[in-house]
Amino acid sequence: MTLGKWLHNQWVSLQLRQSYFDEHDYVIVDLELTGLEPKKHEIVSAGWLTMQSLKIDLSTAGYMLNRNVTSLLQSPIYHGLNNTQLTAQGVSLSELLDGLAKVINGRVLVCHNAQLDWGFIQHAAKAQQRVIQPKAIIDTLKIEKHRLLVQGKPLKQQDLTLTACRARYALPKYSEHNALSDALATAELLLAQYHSMNRGSREKLSAIM
Amino acid sequence: MTAHVQDVMAFAHQQMPFSHLPEAASAYFSKHLSIVYLTQENQADWLNPTDVNLYLVRSGTFDLVSVQGEVVTRLAEGDYFGFPSLLTGDKISNRLRVVTAGLVYILGQHSFDYLRREYKEFEQHFVRAHTNRLLSTYYQSKSRNWSEFKVNEMMSAQVITSHKLLSIAEAAQVMSRHGISSLIITDGSQLLGLITDRDLRNRVLAVGLDPSLPVETIMTEKPKFIFENNRVFSALHLMLKHNIHHLPVLDEEYVPKGMITSTDLLKLQKSDPVQLISKIYKARSVMEVKRCASELPELLKQFSNKIEDISTIGKILSGVTDALTTRLIQLYQVEYGAAPCAFCWVCFGSQAREEQTLHSDQDNGLVLEATVTNEQLLYFARLGAYVCEHLVACGIKRCPGNIMASNDACRGTVKQWSERFDKWIKSPTPKAMLNCKIYFDLRLIDGSASLFRDLSTQLEQICKDDLFYAAMATDINTNSVPIGLFHQFKLKKGTTDHKYLDLKHRGVVIINDLVRLYALKAGVFKANTLERLEALLQYDMLSKKDIFDLQDCWRYLTQLRVKTQIDRDGLPSNCIDPQVLTSLQKHQLKEAFFLIKQAQQASVFKFARGSL
Repeated sequence: MTLGKWLHNQWVSLQLRQSYFDEHDYVIVDLELTGLEPKKHEIVSAGWLTMQSLKIDLSTAGYMLNRNVTSLLQSPIYHGLNNTQLTAQGVSLSELLDGLAKVINGRVLVCHNAQLDWGFIQHAAKAQQRVIQPKAIIDTLKIEKHRLLVQGKPLKQQDLTLTACRARYALPKYSEHNALSDALATAELLLAQYHSMNRGSREKLSAIM
Repeated sequence: MTAHVQDVMAFAHQQMPFSHLPEAASAYFSKHLSIVYLTQENQADWLNPTDVNLYLVRSGTFDLVSVQGEVVTRLAEGDYFGFPSLLTGDKISNRLRVVTAGLVYILGQHSFDYLRREYKEFEQHFVRAHTNRLLSTYYQSKSRNWSEFKVNEMMSAQVITSHKLLSIAEAAQVMSRHGISSLIITDGSQLLGLITDRDLRNRVLAVGLDPSLPVETIMTEKPKFIFENNRVFSALHLMLKHNIHHLPVLDEEYVPKGMITSTDLLKLQKSDPVQLISKIYKARSVMEVKRCASELPELLKQFSNKIEDISTIGKILSGVTDALTTRLIQLYQVEYGAAPCAFCWVCFGSQAREEQTLHSDQDNGLVLEATVTNEQLLYFARLGAYVCEHLVACGIKRCPGNIMASNDACRGTVKQWSERFDKWIKSPTPKAMLNCKIYFDLRLIDGSASLFRDLSTQLEQICKDDLFYAAMATDINTNSVPIGLFHQFKLKKGTTDHKYLDLKHRGVVIINDLVRLYALKAGVFKANTLERLEALLQYDMLSKKDIFDLQDCWRYLTQLRVKTQIDRDGLPSNCIDPQVLTSLQKHQLKEAFFLIKQAQQASVFKFARGSL
């Protein structure tokens, strides 16, 4: 990378962080996986929604199953999807990545535990030689972790699950481990977190990232 | 690439009317929604008067509030709002008060219309809901009286102000753009003045003033104003008293919040005590004043059935007495010439606390300028006699303790008054204690506000003696609540065979005394007991719970007391026969007395260090 390009990138990222949270378009993505390691495990399904001006738009909801999964391992206990369903209703991993690329590129990506989901997306995109590049990434798990640490509360691993986080904001209970439901659950959590952070004033993106 | 969020669809399908419709309706609904997180702060972003939508509450609690400030209904999970506008095409007029923030589903007009066309039952559901809501609002509005409204519940929602340096022409443009007849002039935040249509006519057009001059040149400086938390009744009283039609509404930091006009109030005004006050202020002779006063008892009887919070009656009665007094002072000056020096007419006791009853007697006095001459004193002696005499004729009894402006001892300069107070405080005899209880509740009725302020400042300075507070606390404790050792009522025997409870002297009075003690110690110069308690929230003398308990007790006892006074049957005034109480009322009454007893004991420990 040339110095000029590096400087340009720094400048773009600085500008982005200084912009307001509510001016961006967001895509909230959740994946169901066969395990936790991008190199060993696979994407089973992906669900997403977009959000503009702090308004979650359900007409943009997307949900895809991967029919190329080679081995589901023990994962059906969580997401309940079996090979028959995947073959009957699924699309190829390549189509699934096309779908993700279309909504993620040019938007800010939001995940609960972004390290995991974004890790899988990046790994799959690289393997299939695709470019998937969000403007920025926001992690609702990190936001919550930071918030609880600031409050000086002792943290346990189970305090940061999507369900536990939502309960703290009195958000309704959803069925877990459906990628699209979880994506909506994450989007709503983000709005509740944003509100508890700003109480009516506009926040910069940097305050949320 | 269509996908439905199963949880949203399932939720929709559990709600009326979707539960009675094919699943396709729920699917359509969930596919065309937006979801927002609605909070008190951001609600304006989602509830746009011109952008109509159907809203469905998914989580959180919201109160739907009408333009008049009444809660139409409380909304929680599964409740819809916004549909009346979708059906009628009218602009959204209701507002939301967010109790707890939460998720709200929004369906646009277009999608609503689609569902309405496709599914007859969908349309029927919302038409019916609309009709029901209209009915329930109607009944609610009948049960609540306008005089109980707070000013901020009915003032114009947006405040329109103009900077003092704006030109007259620009200010006029602001007024015409917003269609308002008066404009608040500020220095950026604080209220400086007011201009009205009439000012533009009289002070600009009629005299040919240059409209490019700054608006501050024509404004009425330091206009009368009202705080947003005051009652509408007080606003109206202020307008009638000063014959003004526009009243800026300020918050506690004196920042303008809105405007209330006489037209706003006229629309609401249906009841008569207010008209009576207006008639009193317009009365041309003492005869007319007396005629107005004679209407009061009958009027009160009708009025008392209409209001829920009966303690308002104390305010109304005091308001009427204030009006009578002010008008009599004015009439005296018309007849015998304007006052030769500054003075202020103050009231004490129940009138000052705004808890007058039909049996309350006069407690008043005159504060005079320090330079007052002997000859001028004569004028005020006559004024005192004139007003007090006519007040008696108006049905407000003579004070048995002769605390009346007609008494030489009740007229004096600020210095003379503070000397009297000082004497009582320094030598707290029982007689002095009694005086303190009456005189320390004082309120300005008419005349110079700066004299009154001088007196208040003086009083604040002399109320520093710990011995005085100890004596007061001990004195208050000699008066006990009528509750026996085993939580039984202790009854007094009346002149007839009735056994009764004295709600005033062994209930309300004790609360008043206690609250006065704390208020004096804290330097709170208000006279009304509830207002004193409200102000005491700012100090750490009494806990929040104690304050709320005392407020509740006070309201409860006052309510019971006024009610029995209106339809009483041979009992001494202010008393109640516990036989007629329901078991719930008995229980509440005992509870109230018990709380008072606790507060009494606490005051001894605080002020007399347990020396009882």
